[in-house]
Amino acid sequence: MTTLKVNGQTHTLDVAPNRTLADVLRNELGLIGVRVSCSEGECGSCTVLVDGEPVTSCMMLVDQGEQHELQTIEGLGTSDDLHPIQQAFVEQQGFQCAFCTPGFVMSAKAFLAENPNPTREETAFAMSGNICRCGAYPYIVDAVMNAAEKLRARDGADRRAAD
Amino acid sequence: MGYEDRNFSVVGKGVHVKDASEKVTGALKYAVDLKVQNMAYGKILRCPHPHARITRIDTSKAEALAGVYGVLTHLDTPGLDWEAAWFNYRGKVLDGIGRFVGDDMAAVAAVSEEIAEQAVRLIEVEYEVLPHVFDMEEARKMDAPQIRDEGNERDPYIVEWGDVAEGEKDAEVTVDCDIFYESQQYAPLGRNAAIAEWMGDKVTLWTSSQTPSELRDGVHEALGIPLSKIRVMALPCGSSFGQWWSNNFMIITVLLAKKARRAVKIELTNEECMATVKRRHLERTRGRMGCTKDGQITLAQFDHLIDNGGYGFKDDVGFFCVDMWGRARHGHYAVHGINTNLLTAGCMRGVGDCTLGASVERVADQLAEKVGMDPVDFRIKNQIKPGEELRMQHSKHNMKGNIKEYIDGIREDLKEDWPELFHLSSGSTEDILTMGADAFGWKERWKGWGKPHTVDGPLRRAVGVGTGAHVCGVEFEGSTSAVVRINPDGSLKVHCSVGRQGQGSETTQSQVAAEAMGVSLDMVEIETGDTDSCPWSHGSLASNTMYRVGWATRAATMDARRQLLEIAARELFDGADPAELDITDGVVHPKGQPDSNRRFPITQVLHEIRSDTLGQTSSITGRPSVPMPPATTFARQFAAQFVEVEVDIETGQIKLLDFLAAQDSGTVVNPQVLKNQVIGGAICGAGFAIYEHLVFDEETGAIKNANLLDYKLLRAADFPHQAKVMFSESYDPVGPFGARGAGESPIAASIAAVAQAVYNATGVWVDLPMTPERVVRALGGV
Ligand code: FES
Ligand code: FES
Repeated sequence: MTTLKVNGQTHTLDVAPNRTLADVLRNELGLIGVRVSCSEGECGSCTVLVDGEPVTSCMMLVDQGEQHELQTIEGLGTSDDLHPIQQAFVEQQGFQCAFCTPGFVMSAKAFLAENPNPTREETAFAMSGNICRCGAYPYIVDAVMNAAEKLRARDGADRRAAD
Repeated sequence: MGYEDRNFSVVGKGVHVKDASEKVTGALKYAVDLKVQNMAYGKILRCPHPHARITRIDTSKAEALAGVYGVLTHLDTPGLDWEAAWFNYRGKVLDGIGRFVGDDMAAVAAVSEEIAEQAVRLIEVEYEVLPHVFDMEEARKMDAPQIRDEGNERDPYIVEWGDVAEGEKDAEVTVDCDIFYESQQYAPLGRNAAIAEWMGDKVTLWTSSQTPSELRDGVHEALGIPLSKIRVMALPCGSSFGQWWSNNFMIITVLLAKKARRAVKIELTNEECMATVKRRHLERTRGRMGCTKDGQITLAQFDHLIDNGGYGFKDDVGFFCVDMWGRARHGHYAVHGINTNLLTAGCMRGVGDCTLGASVERVADQLAEKVGMDPVDFRIKNQIKPGEELRMQHSKHNMKGNIKEYIDGIREDLKEDWPELFHLSSGSTEDILTMGADAFGWKERWKGWGKPHTVDGPLRRAVGVGTGAHVCGVEFEGSTSAVVRINPDGSLKVHCSVGRQGQGSETTQSQVAAEAMGVSLDMVEIETGDTDSCPWSHGSLASNTMYRVGWATRAATMDARRQLLEIAARELFDGADPAELDITDGVVHPKGQPDSNRRFPITQVLHEIRSDTLGQTSSITGRPSVPMPPATTFARQFAAQFVEVEVDIETGQIKLLDFLAAQDSGTVVNPQVLKNQVIGGAICGAGFAIYEHLVFDEETGAIKNANLLDYKLLRAADFPHQAKVMFSESYDPVGPFGARGAGESPIAASIAAVAQAVYNATGVWVDLPMTPERVVRALGGV
């Protein structure tokens, strides 16, 4: 039995240990926002957060997900209550086909947690672990910069509210 | 036919795409995400040889494996030929002959993918290995191994005008070229899957496809069953660029589902996507151009080879460069399509324009250098302007016979409203070159041919400019239609068969319908993938979507609107002339008086017919009531792009420092969508220019880098994030609200711009892809 904590919920699953985390998230838990493209850790479309760190889930065996807090795109906003990063991707249209988008959003989340006030260069560099074959890169950078602003405003407001 | 009024309320707005929140929340379902009840999983047996015939196949062990539902071989197929759009595939679904390593030979359906894979290994096959040929020049020879019943080489596609001997005489300077292009891979993000399910003698096929109608035609041809028994449900695609039209694995899925007597899903691995479906052609241009000392091109003579691999069947790679550089006084262009024992090649975004077009750009640049002209000025001088003749009319052959013959059947009276056929209707490179050069600071940044503006140790920085053109859809395979329904509540449903390849066509088509009807965008919904509800269309290919499908969407909406206004005039406006009525924000009112007291919402008009017991319908259905003029004969899109590069002459490394893309696609229906298309194209082109190429095994022709680790793609930090996009103000007389096509000219312009910039930085022309090794070699290093 494998126990996974995903998006705050705990699941106990009877799955073969040779399955990848990406496969189990998609096919056992129905989290299809975990997109799988290259299956070899190159494209980043399957990026999920493991204790806040971005990881390509196609390269992890399911058991390696145990004892960690996992977050997928489904753990962020919903369509009527988007997370600020998702909102920024919508506003800047940081995608075309969007197959890469959940991966970029998760990478951006981890990046902005580390560096809440990045330069465009830092952002472009940080977003280079993911591939967007449609070539939305300049607008992905716009989206992440805009998300950073949104998050700073939100966190500033939170802090002010707490004071 | 023209629309003078450019005061749009929905068109031109950068509204968020309709499916944006599904996209950013990960809720959007691509074909790989779909499951149906009790479905089996399919796997394909692939040919291990470059060319071989099955002499014996024994499936008994595979069939005996627990969990296997059925095995499909060539012995089970009807043996009919089918064709994908634009001859991207032509042949049988399975015929017991493998024409490249990885070709489809048989398939298994089982309870799980693992068992299907095991069963594939249990199929016993004996092959007679046949002689093979990989090189297209070899394949043309009389004694070459024959890959297809039709022979290896297609009749050439030839376009000719004037007399090249005259052009030669008039030329004061000439340049020759012999350029070879490696093959770019679509390298799709997202892979693909197909699910087929039969109910009695009817089948439904779900897959990610840009061409639902043409896929249904393909299933019909391959199976020999009526079109009415086939329903294609095209789902959103990951990045596609022409890869996911109608593909053989989709039709295998249909046949396998029949054999297995249950729904079957075949999901391709990333390697299968890159090594067994298709790729851009390997191409070779030999050519010669000449001009006078003042830079007038007199001669353009090109002979171009394209390798179609096993199943491609093209002879006419776009080459709209022929029209773009159409001011050349005398021209001869020939394209030869040749089959080889390599992976099938097909149309990838900007087909022909990224290769033959890039060759023409390079040779033109070399001429401009010889006569001492600026590349911007040289292009403005020699590229086509509105109203000028299109050279494609002088084609000797094409896929459906001579273009002139095709046009001959058209009724004369229809032509009255049309732009002059075989003449460019609108747009050109002139405005975008001028505005782009200004905004980029071209005059200051370009230091002359082969001259960097900065030298910093081994680093050379320079700028380059390139142009690209493409059609706005082609009609040779049929006319495009759309259906628009006005529901009783006043909402609109558009049905048009363009699929969803991600560029945002659901949104832009909806904007066209909303504008045409006079309702807000949220009153419009759209179905683009279901062939049971959408009338036939080519789909999203050949930059067809906005121009031809958009035309149909607008025409269908106008037809529905006409009916609506007739009812309103009769029932609510005392028999007024319907032409005196208008619709604003879903409310019918006398023309020019949106605030009149006599105004009725669309719902009320619909209510009038619903409450009429003698009425024939409760909703209104519109469809185009006149044919669309043949777009091939007058509509083109244009791109002009400016780039700054830095080349390290010691390592051969190329960096892109700055980028500006100016685009002429007529009216911009949605600037957010269009800028993504333009920059997306530019990045894909830049990738082809500096890295991307497939590596074929010398012995077997198998693809050695069918994965994203070994096939390199540009990433965010590899392309200038401050890239700018500009749009022209041109307005097309036929396209919806003045819009034209967009997706393919940008990739071609980018390739030419990067190549020229590298030349300006280093003083040498490097063949694509300009990998570090090639740059160093071209500079005389080892
Ligand atoms: S699918 Fe995991 S990195 Fe590409
Ligand atoms: S939007 Fe298509 S791959 Fe990024």
